Amino acid sequence: MGSNQQAQLPRRIIKESQRLLSEPAPGIKAVPNEDNLRYFSVEIDGPGSSPYEGGKFRLELFLPEDYPMAAPKVRFLTKIYHPNIDKLGRICLDILKDKWSPALQIRTVLLSIQALLSAPNPDDPLAENVAKHWKENEAEAVREARAWTMRWAR
Amino acid sequence: MAGPGNVVVPRNFRLLEELEKGEKGLGGDGSVSYGMDDSEDLLMRSWQGTILGPPNTVHDGKIYTLKLYCDQNYPDKPPAVRFYSRINMSCVAANGVVDPRHFNILGHWRRDYSMETILLELRREMAAPHNRKLSQPPEGNY
Repeated sequence: MGSNQQAQLPRRIIKESQRLLSEPAPGIKAVPNEDNLRYFSVEIDGPGSSPYEGGKFRLELFLPEDYPMAAPKVRFLTKIYHPNIDKLGRICLDILKDKWSPALQIRTVLLSIQALLSAPNPDDPLAENVAKHWKENEAEAVREARAWTMRWAR
Repeated sequence: MAGPGNVVVPRNFRLLEELEKGEKGLGGDGSVSYGMDDSEDLLMRSWQGTILGPPNTVHDGKIYTLKLYCDQNYPDKPPAVRFYSRINMSCVAANGVVDPRHFNILGHWRRDYSMETILLELRREMAAPHNRKLSQPPEGNY
């Protein structure tokens, strides 16, 4: 089954997977699932000088059938207080939607998500109440985000 | 079992697809609907469905509420399904649970079935000759 599945896996996905394992991006781990090589367990370290610093955030990533013509699907599995990430861990990020290009890769997607943790964008919110909090009282919202990091991401 | 090219959509992404479809109201012709019961559950386990009783049956004009529970084995295994609204129907036990032995979609589950499939098929079952004229309990919940 394993080798059979490997044989059907597009070469591009095999290459990307190998490179993710051999040269991981700093603070990012992505490991394909043994039973489904299009399905990755991901861990992103909260970036330094962000309210997520010190946290380890678990995500899941799936390469749909038409990848790389279609974007990967990614979701946070760790609860996070962030204006662009909703209660179900869904992420509002342009390259996962209309700005996707086949020139991008799993690695670029994960780096962009890491960057989104450093630079929350409350003007393009997914979690409305979190974004409102961020705009009205950023210091307090940042404290809340830090508390969530301590509670859920350690 | 799996789709073309053997690409298997993992449980959580499959449920996110179903959620999006349910939210957009693309679920069939509006005769059924569904959504998450607990919008903060990252595991997306508890769902609520509704079925609009089919015309020309004893169910006409009624709105039935159901609970669907997708455990970690969904969609390899079917969800547990029970009616929340009281109903008298051949495949529904006295406590509202839909009995897989008497409801083929659950009894002979396939991975490409969805919660929408279940609701639409239950609605068809309501209109089947052995169900359409069954006397019904007073309206209420289990």
